[in-house]
Amino acid sequence: MKWQRLLYNNMSPRILLRTFQRISGFRFSSTKPAFTSDRYNVKRGAYASISNDHVAFFNELLGRNRVIVDAEECEGYNIDYAKIVRGKSTLVLKPRTTDEVSTILKFCNENRLAVCPQSGNTGLVGGSVPVFDEIVISMKFMNKIIETNELAGVLTCEAGCVLEDLDNHLGTVGLMMPIDLGAKGSCLIGGCVSTNAGGLRLLRYGNLHGNVLGLEAVKANGEVIDCLNTLKKNNTGYHLKHLFIGSEGTLGIVTKVAIQCPPLPKAVNVALLGLNSFEKVLKAFRLAKAELAEILSSFEMMDKRSIDISFTTFGMKSPLTSKTDGHDFYVLLETSGSNVNHDEEKLGSFVEKALADDIIEDGTLTSDPTKVKHIWALRERISEGVLKEGYVFKYDISIPLSSYYKVIEVIQERLRDPRVIRISGYGHLGDGNIHVQVSIPSYEPDIASQLEPFIFEYVSELRGSVSAEHGIGFVKTKYLHKSRTSSEIKLMHQLKKLMDPNGILNPYKVLHPLEFPA
Amino acid sequence: MEDYKFLFKVVLVGNAGVGKTCLVRRFTQGLFPPGQGATIGVDFMIKTVEVENEKVKLQIWDTAGQERFRSITQSYYRSAHALILVYDISCQPTFDCLPDWLREIEEYASNKVLRILVGNKIDREDREIPTHVGEDFAQRHGMYFLETSAKEAENVERLFMEIAAELMEQARSKELPRYETNTTSINGKTTSIGDTSNCGCSRLS
Repeated sequence: MKWQRLLYNNMSPRILLRTFQRISGFRFSSTKPAFTSDRYNVKRGAYASISNDHVAFFNELLGRNRVIVDAEECEGYNIDYAKIVRGKSTLVLKPRTTDEVSTILKFCNENRLAVCPQSGNTGLVGGSVPVFDEIVISMKFMNKIIETNELAGVLTCEAGCVLEDLDNHLGTVGLMMPIDLGAKGSCLIGGCVSTNAGGLRLLRYGNLHGNVLGLEAVKANGEVIDCLNTLKKNNTGYHLKHLFIGSEGTLGIVTKVAIQCPPLPKAVNVALLGLNSFEKVLKAFRLAKAELAEILSSFEMMDKRSIDISFTTFGMKSPLTSKTDGHDFYVLLETSGSNVNHDEEKLGSFVEKALADDIIEDGTLTSDPTKVKHIWALRERISEGVLKEGYVFKYDISIPLSSYYKVIEVIQERLRDPRVIRISGYGHLGDGNIHVQVSIPSYEPDIASQLEPFIFEYVSELRGSVSAEHGIGFVKTKYLHKSRTSSEIKLMHQLKKLMDPNGILNPYKVLHPLEFPA
Repeated sequence: MEDYKFLFKVVLVGNAGVGKTCLVRRFTQGLFPPGQGATIGVDFMIKTVEVENEKVKLQIWDTAGQERFRSITQSYYRSAHALILVYDISCQPTFDCLPDWLREIEEYASNKVLRILVGNKIDREDREIPTHVGEDFAQRHGMYFLETSAKEAENVERLFMEIAAELMEQARSKELPRYETNTTSINGKTTSIGDTSNCGCSRLS
């Protein structure tokens, strides 16, 4: 029995999840969103338009195979995963090396051509697609692993590597990526870094500002900034890597990263718990932190309306059967540790206490790979499934835990409209991060105006963040000031001006308009 | 917090396919799920019953019969008040495995734990283990014995109610197994078994 259990435990659920579908944003329906510039009434910046000479230059540099001008082919790069934005780009470039990225940017900068760096295009705030005719620089082809230092646990790779591929690769040497998210099958590490993506295990391993040890980036003028440090400690001068982590491609294009990778856990257990109030979810969290302490690697909350998407849209079965009509709340809890018996004892004690104190109604606990995968899929497929309902207003907010779920109740109260299909919330409770989703058959401006700016003001009043892990992108530029002070925003503008004086890098995103209000 | 006086942990073990999950679902939900898939890992739930006008909460752990689907094995038994060992009366191998299960129980569970041997599926006509054979086995090993049918709802309620009543009786006479449950609950209350006159369970309400 022992060897068999060990065998399973050595297979991290992260590896098991690999059979997951690679998320593709265009599988559900063929209806295209309205042009961003029309829907949001955006004015095009004073950039040059693409001429035949420009295209000829790129053809010369990259070869025709890596220069896309076909309108239909460009369309995939113009629409985002969530189908909330649509650009009008007619040119997509696919560099293979840092030098090529550098040459492209130098040329664009000199010719005042705006560019939109694009990674896996799985972002949810419209940051990865052009607004007008910005040249898309797709990083997909820069996908080489440069070095795997097993002893130090440091992976160095190019920006276009798929997160899941990196995790698979690391799994073969007993390491794992410190970041994991639902879009792992198609998101690229460069995009994760550029957006400081959070994900399912931030609770345990921390965010990318900590885990990225170094990176290489290309500035707007084509200058390559080499801060590809691989040391864990290097307190010398300014820590410039941070400028490129989370700045969403507005200060430079990340071309390489060195990332710190924790060892693959030997024992992984996953529990799905059913609860009847949000208050109990919080109690379960407190208990989990106390009982599971250092082995707790995920604590995810889903309300009934969220998990119902996985049950109904994908016909997945609930592993919890004691209540026929389900529970009001669900918690997915994962532990990762180095000693099976040790972890089991902690989990056993956690469950006993949670049952004894009436915190949970029922639950299931397993280390079996298939079931672990099934339980994770219930959580991970929510975001994909809700898109089938039509247009989805998605908000990714951080709020203090005491008000964490209240935001859903407030919106449900405020938005009593028969067109609304679903208002639900789920997310990384352990990080104080909730994903709010409001779905309707198609985009309605009056619904939008009932939600925004209300929700951002509400979050701001609670001293929360209007974007916990998704970034500002295009759709949240108006609300940056709700989570950042004017002194911070002023310095952001100054940095932008210094690093990209012509404003060619990912315009209309993060800082928009580009002039800081006097 | 819910008002109850006793809380007991009841664990079901036994070979795969003997009907542990069906017994639990019959008892907790009053239904018999057709085509029940194998339990993977462990499922746990709460069912509150009333015995002699006292509320008794049963914490039920439904475990995987298949070895490869079992996890946290030792923790199942830890602090269990009752163990229900189930076999299928129409399947000799499930009966033949009982000594193996007993060995595991000896190894991990308290020696004072209430043990109940259950022969399930008496609705079936192809019985292989006569009642008296089951009874003999139970007697030899100091276990309670009952035959049930989850499908026909026969003796299922009785099984759990008798366990609840017996544990309550034991608790009152302080004969429950003592575990090191000097644990601190979420609201800071600390309770040990047998500490208080009105409660023999591991946790006060």
